[in-house]
Amino acid sequence: MAYLLIFHWGWLLASLLLGFAAGWIAVVHRGQGMSKPVSRGLSVLVAALVAAALTRVIPGRPGYWLDLGLVMLASYLVGCALGSWLRDRVLSRPAPAP
Amino acid sequence: MHGFFRWSTKWWPGVIPLVALWVIAAWTNTAPMESDLAARSAATLKDTVLDKRRIAVEGRDVTLAADAFSEDGRRGAVAAVEAVSGVRLVNDETGLVPEARPFVWWAERDVVRVTLGGSAPLPASKSRLLEAARADLGGVDVVDQMNLARGAPPLFDDAALLVLDQIAKLKEGKITISDSRVSLSGMARDLGGREAIAAALKNLPEGFSVASNEIKAPPYVFQAYKDPVAVTLTLTGYVPDNNVHAALAAAAGRKFFSEKVVDNLKASIGAPSGFASAVVPALGALSRLSTGTLVVSDREVKLSGDAFYDAAAVQIRAGFGKDFPQGWQFKADISVKPAAAPVDATVCQELFSDVLAKGKIRFESGRAIIDPDSAGLLDRLIEIALRCPNANIEIAGHTDGDGDDGFNQTLSEKRAQAVTDYLVKAGLPASRFTAVGYGSTQPIATNDTDQGKAQNRRIEFMVR
Repeated sequence: MAYLLIFHWGWLLASLLLGFAAGWIAVVHRGQGMSKPVSRGLSVLVAALVAAALTRVIPGRPGYWLDLGLVMLASYLVGCALGSWLRDRVLSRPAPAP
Repeated sequence: MHGFFRWSTKWWPGVIPLVALWVIAAWTNTAPMESDLAARSAATLKDTVLDKRRIAVEGRDVTLAADAFSEDGRRGAVAAVEAVSGVRLVNDETGLVPEARPFVWWAERDVVRVTLGGSAPLPASKSRLLEAARADLGGVDVVDQMNLARGAPPLFDDAALLVLDQIAKLKEGKITISDSRVSLSGMARDLGGREAIAAALKNLPEGFSVASNEIKAPPYVFQAYKDPVAVTLTLTGYVPDNNVHAALAAAAGRKFFSEKVVDNLKASIGAPSGFASAVVPALGALSRLSTGTLVVSDREVKLSGDAFYDAAAVQIRAGFGKDFPQGWQFKADISVKPAAAPVDATVCQELFSDVLAKGKIRFESGRAIIDPDSAGLLDRLIEIALRCPNANIEIAGHTDGDGDDGFNQTLSEKRAQAVTDYLVKAGLPASRFTAVGYGSTQPIATNDTDQGKAQNRRIEFMVR
């Protein structure tokens, strides 16, 4: 895992920033969010992929690509969480006196 | 917290560029990462002894194929690659190097090259043996046909290195180590090489033994060439030791009364038994030839050349090999020198005097039996006598002044008669010769010194 993080740090940083942007926008976005059944389905899918990665059932290059994808997704989600949290903090701060 | 869940439902649009990013990352990173893992896996196995090692990386999975020289070595290699950071899985395709039963290694030498074959226990021993072969056999092509195998006896390398030293002493041949038994065959390069190899094999490491040693020695060659133009006798080849060398040189000096002896003999072990007993009489036969070559190769003696006259050729052929020790083979290829032109009596006398000035007819001490060493000289005298068929010759015997006059007189007469008989036996008419004895009455030097006495003891040929 450490090797994966070190070797792909640039890509992971890019995913983090992308996530940060997505999270930043999500707080003020007025559109429809993802429906519950879809998000549940996606969660199950991601959980299954994580299980496949941990058990190392997918061999060779596809196995590596899965690991890489999941690490990038994790980095993206961390970025989203950070972005949304920061944006929320900025908005809820009392406006400075004119 | 509720807000956090609400926001997360709106995070999905970023997933689309994320997927694009993932595809690009996978596209660009797969090959560099695979080669990085391959390089680091190879580096970690640098000091592990493996044969036919092959490392293939797909993603983060490493396939390791290799033949190890022990089970521990095999497991250790797999564990080492598993421990390389970044490696996810190791596909273990390792095995053990096959075991050779029996464990056979050999070195073969022919005219142009040395071939090493069979099994070697480790890559290091294989390269050490090749290196040693190249060092021992400077300039000779060394061909490697060795495989790697387990099952070598302890101290195999030491034994194989010792064997390689012996290969250098062979002209051609093969040395095989089968388990701990050493077999040798072929031909030694030099005389004594066979003995040197046998002696060196006594230093084989403990546990090794010689199963068979069929190294042959090269032929033991002695050659003598009588050159009538240069008036030389050239001796080449080998003699067993300095004593035999001295004895042969002395015999050559006695038998070849006028030729200069060119002695190029070398002392070497490996002579066939009875060497001197065969070579001395063979030199006697050569001394009777006008020109000739004597070749002694092991126990085979070949004499070829020209005798001075027909009867001599017959005598040499008949007598050659009679005195040789048992088991010796011989062949005499004797022709007769073309007869020299006839000359008148005066020239004949000059020729007799010339020859007798260079050499003397010798007898056994105090007796009238001609020394066989004088056969060559007598042949020359007979050849001269044949050139003046009409001359009558007085054969005069003389003694030194020692002893009783009566005895000396009788001895000189008997010796003159013995020479006459010899000439008649060679085919000359008895009527041409008169044997006369003068005892010690006609000295040509003082009888007070040994040298003077030796000069006085003589046979003279006087043309009448």
